[in-house]
Amino acid sequence: MNKTANLPPKPVWKCGKCGGELKHGTVKITYLGNDLRVEELKCLNCGLVLITEELALGKMFEVEQSLEDK
Amino acid sequence: MDIMDKCLITTAESSCTESLCPECLQRIPAQRVVQGEKVYMVKQCPEHGEYRTLLWRGNPQWDLWVRPTIPTPPKECFTKVEKGCPFDCGLCEDHYKTTCTALIEVTQRCNLNCRFCFANAGTELDEPSLAVIEGWYKNVLAASGPVNIQLSGGEPTLRNDLPAILEMGRTLGFNFIQLNTNGLRLAEDPGFVGRLKEAGLSSVFLQFDGTEDSIYQAIRGRRLFEVKAKAIENCAQHGIGVVLVPTLIPGINTHNIGGIIKFALENLPAVRGVHFQPVSYFGRIPKEPLDQDRITLPEVIQAIEEQTDGLIKAANLKPHNGRCSFSGNFTRQQDGSLKAIINNSCCAGPERADELARKTRTFVARQWSGAEKLTIESPVNNSWDNLIQQLKTYAFSISGMAFQDVWNLDIDRLKNCCIHVVSPEGKLIPFCAYNLTDKFGHSIYRRER
Repeated sequence: MNKTANLPPKPVWKCGKCGGELKHGTVKITYLGNDLRVEELKCLNCGLVLITEELALGKMFEVEQSLEDK
Repeated sequence: MDIMDKCLITTAESSCTESLCPECLQRIPAQRVVQGEKVYMVKQCPEHGEYRTLLWRGNPQWDLWVRPTIPTPPKECFTKVEKGCPFDCGLCEDHYKTTCTALIEVTQRCNLNCRFCFANAGTELDEPSLAVIEGWYKNVLAASGPVNIQLSGGEPTLRNDLPAILEMGRTLGFNFIQLNTNGLRLAEDPGFVGRLKEAGLSSVFLQFDGTEDSIYQAIRGRRLFEVKAKAIENCAQHGIGVVLVPTLIPGINTHNIGGIIKFALENLPAVRGVHFQPVSYFGRIPKEPLDQDRITLPEVIQAIEEQTDGLIKAANLKPHNGRCSFSGNFTRQQDGSLKAIINNSCCAGPERADELARKTRTFVARQWSGAEKLTIESPVNNSWDNLIQQLKTYAFSISGMAFQDVWNLDIDRLKNCCIHVVSPEGKLIPFCAYNLTDKFGHSIYRRER
């Protein structure tokens, strides 16, 4: 029996800018002149990237702090 | 023309400051004189004549290596300005910079007898009690707040109550406490290392002069490489970050700079970085040190690039505290290569000294503490979790700091010092003023034995 059958389907994100579908893909992020690549949801059509508040205040903030120098 | 007249003119080739006479410790005018790729300090004591000391040799160039700072006085000054720098240290209100790290000397005893050492020998009877140390911690809090602490000596691990000293500091609100040690006891007594960790030790500043036993034999009088490796292993087991601290002495270990970095990288993430300290001259010095007895910061920087075959580039190392120090940060990639972390937060324009001290404290506490255990194994190669792990666990720092001695002392640099030693009276004394001696070994601040 498929154990995932009863789980709710994953929400499908639509791009607020062009209405395109969002899929995981490699995104370039830049902070203090440092370029990094990370996997994130982005619009297949126009490239807009979804950054949730939780991500911005959590893991993204952690990355920023790790790049801050003396 | 005497030196006073010369100091009225500042040209591209020279600039003025003040220094001390190595013989009588009188404050005297001094010039920084550029001669080709070398920069000298030239000073003349009316009584004891002229002194000429090498400050800088080669690239990066002297005049390009600056980090302008806007002075910010200490929160609370324990001394008044009366005789002028460096005779009013405590700190006084003329000091430019607040504390990055406060050093607390918990003993003067030592289990080594080194050629190049700031500390005096001592006995158990001289040791400050826990109550005295508590008073020192509180003075640091009053003057500078909960800054980074380094427990030093002598050899601090000779005190069996070191865990209690650590615990007291953590309870009082100091979040980053580092131990400055030769590592002998850490290698021999893993149980003690465990107790230090439980008491709140963040990091070990490990005297580490090289990867060859002949180096230790020459400087420390003993073969110590295996002892150092064991100390690192024991710290790694308890998640204590280790910083390797070589004292660089021309002709003894300056050929091993690349070897030290290679060893550090092999021991990442237990080893968090390397902090080079070019030798400086304290105590009784019968003869003025010559140019060849010194290795200046640009020479260290060039040697790092040359001896790592370009793995670390000179361009990735930036000025930190003016002409006292440099630093560069890197992250080791999965393929073993190093990626430089670009530092855009420096060198763009004048920075407030207190802000610079705050940034330094934050960076040091993060980079030199034990690496976080790898808890998240994300299947996606470039996930946020993997990126965080890469940046935190595999971060690696290279830095260096040139201490000043009576020969090359520049009062402007001294005023900008953010490493402060707590004196027995509980005052905060800039590191180079505290350890300074005249050529006969007489000190201004350190109690003589």
